[in-house]
Amino acid sequence: MATPAIAAHAPPRLSLRALRVVLGVAGVVVAIGVWWLLSRLLAHGGGVINRLPPPLAVFYELVHYARGDLWRDLVFSLRVFAIGWGVGVVLATVTGLVLGRSQLLGDIFLPIVEAIRPVSSIVWVPLSIVWFGFGLTSKVFLVGLAVYLVVIVYAIDGSRRVPPDLERTATMLGMNEWQRFVSLVLPGTLTEVLIGSRVALMAGWGTVIVAELVAADSGLGAHLIGVEQSYDVPAVMAAMICFGLAGFVMNAAFSFVERRLTPWRHDHATETS
Amino acid sequence: MTSTQAISRRVLLPAIGVAMVLAIWEATVVFYKLPAIVLPSPFAVVATLVDLVQTSAFWRDVGVSLYEFVVGYAIGVALGVAVGMLVGERPMFRMAATPVIESLRFIVPFAWIPLTILWFGTSYAGKIALVAYAVFFVMVVSTARAIAQVEPTLSRVGTMLGMGPWRLAWKVHLRAAAPMLASAARAAAAIGWIAVVAAEYIGASAGLGLMITNAATSLTTSVVIAGMIVIGVVGAGVSALIGAASRAWLDYR
Amino acid sequence: MSTNLESLATLARSPHATTGTSRAHEGELVVENVFHRYVFAGRDTEVLHDVSFRIAAGQVACVVGPSGCGKSTLLGLAAGLLRPSAGTVRWDGTPVRLGPNPHLGMAFQQPGLFPWMSVRKNVAIGLRTRGYDRREARRIADEFLDTVGLHDFKDAYPRHLSGGMAQRVGIARALALKPRLLLLDEPFAAVDAFTRLKLQQEFKSLLALSRPTVLFVTHDVPEAIALGDLIVVMSKRPASVQTIIPVAREERDRASPAYARKLAETLACLGVTSDMT
Repeated sequence: MATPAIAAHAPPRLSLRALRVVLGVAGVVVAIGVWWLLSRLLAHGGGVINRLPPPLAVFYELVHYARGDLWRDLVFSLRVFAIGWGVGVVLATVTGLVLGRSQLLGDIFLPIVEAIRPVSSIVWVPLSIVWFGFGLTSKVFLVGLAVYLVVIVYAIDGSRRVPPDLERTATMLGMNEWQRFVSLVLPGTLTEVLIGSRVALMAGWGTVIVAELVAADSGLGAHLIGVEQSYDVPAVMAAMICFGLAGFVMNAAFSFVERRLTPWRHDHATETS
Repeated sequence: MTSTQAISRRVLLPAIGVAMVLAIWEATVVFYKLPAIVLPSPFAVVATLVDLVQTSAFWRDVGVSLYEFVVGYAIGVALGVAVGMLVGERPMFRMAATPVIESLRFIVPFAWIPLTILWFGTSYAGKIALVAYAVFFVMVVSTARAIAQVEPTLSRVGTMLGMGPWRLAWKVHLRAAAPMLASAARAAAAIGWIAVVAAEYIGASAGLGLMITNAATSLTTSVVIAGMIVIGVVGAGVSALIGAASRAWLDYR
Repeated sequence: MSTNLESLATLARSPHATTGTSRAHEGELVVENVFHRYVFAGRDTEVLHDVSFRIAAGQVACVVGPSGCGKSTLLGLAAGLLRPSAGTVRWDGTPVRLGPNPHLGMAFQQPGLFPWMSVRKNVAIGLRTRGYDRREARRIADEFLDTVGLHDFKDAYPRHLSGGMAQRVGIARALALKPRLLLLDEPFAAVDAFTRLKLQQEFKSLLALSRPTVLFVTHDVPEAIALGDLIVVMSKRPASVQTIIPVAREERDRASPAYARKLAETLACLGVTSDMT
């Protein structure tokens, strides 16, 4: 790591934080500038569609959408997401505890879970539509599956990873099986599940997008397909930004909650951030 | 653990598990008299699979999907590692690029599918661009992180031995980051492969994704399930190939 | 072992060292009123405050001091990895500039072996970057590895080595460069106590024959007495030189009262008194 060496001989004209902000803003400005320049160059390329609208056109489209149907679409998408995510987390926690703590069941079923896991929930989209149609159920199934496949690994891992010194302490305190489960296994599992649920946010949200693009009856994805089919590039890009923003907000909110729920994991975070 | 116990744990019990799942699947089909449209029996799926591999259309779909994946993956890895090295080596560049990279990273690749269709139509180029985009961000972030974690003594040794910054970056940092890059390359392959399939659902003229959506629309469910199995197997194969290649490369560990 | 060491030392004897003292300051490392500060985690920290000392050609100076007192920063300055905020570091009478120094060899607390290269390549790589052709670099690397008793491990990867062996490779790599200035950052700190004593002994015999100028950072006072011609005692951060203690030959004999007195004196400078009652 070359950072300290470089920081060390640079005369401290600007504090590191200020430099980071200035350069970060500069980076964003340059990126938008390049976008704008490209849009100017491509505007004269001729063709029916304006392939790359300038940033401002996308921004206006974003405002327009925000004044109109955005909130209705967002609520549809978020509802699908929230239900699927909740169902996925709960099922993964329960099966994770069972498969993680019971050696026999684990030996029998874990290989199957391992075989299915790498096959992304995205692959299930057409089958899910055959089974559940284009409505809510089908999307909830897909999101739930995506979340389940991520969280189950964390649940199994957490249920198995009781530190040996805590085991000894429990024996010393004379705990019975149930007390051990409640005070050792469960907290460890739930902490891991919490981490897994955050990791699963993006997997779940990505699945919402694909499911809504394919089974386009409602939500942000359906809107995205709609504007795509009318060749409205600025609206397509605005909808993409909405997807990104929603993902960002969810991730930030969940990180905040996670930090509150498990403060002992984040003692260092205040220092580094 | 004795060897009989090991065999029973690793082979026998999983076999029982698979048998149970297949039995429940078959029993459900028979008991509820499900039509093949809803859920074909496992035997029907196997029969479909056997039929499929004998058609040239199937191999064409496999070939198209793999082609789109391989080209996009190569572009994404090359660009991603290059930019990731810049981010990892140059603090100024890192500070300038981080907000842009982080905000683009939240627009998941799937959200780009409609735009790639508007830009590239249903051609291969759209999928290649999409895979490259998906792989690029995974590689940028992991490369930068891996380079930041290189043992500082190695950098000092390199400088002591007379290496300049670029030689140090290329010969020492990148090489020391290789194990992390290898696992990132594997994760990126999984994401890229799924991106191909998802893109083919929405706009394609050939490919495995198109094959199973078409099958779903015409309600030939056994083809859908067979296709899912093929997609899974190809994905696992790609991942195993990258794993084997990186193990051969990282033989010093 | 000692015959091996002698031949290693002969190998390490640099052509420069035998050209004689044509210039007055040749082989001399001078640290002159050096200040160093850097910004870390948003805080401006002063690490070195007006540090001055001089190491004559062929002398070994051991720097001791409380942890975090900027000993490694001092090495970085001497190596040309860092630039002082104020003051100068002179080598051969000229200020050290940022960038590689062809006279320099360095070894660290971590052996810093490249894990993807065989032991032989680890030693040869430094010679390659300094312009030796492949065959010559390989030959020199083999000779140095033979003399530190590692010829059965030339084709092994670093992960197969014990801590002491890895450290020997690190030192062989530094000496293979035939340095006139050797900078050592606690090279024996991470090995067990017994191996450390053995490595110190080997190292001392090497130095006696090839005589580079050595700046040796350690937190081990007995080690400093055993190896140093002088001991530079640093105060805690922001560090300045508290005292410079010369070490005489008879004071290195661990069985002698002179050794005990020197140990007590040095430790007292670091705030550790021998009065246990």
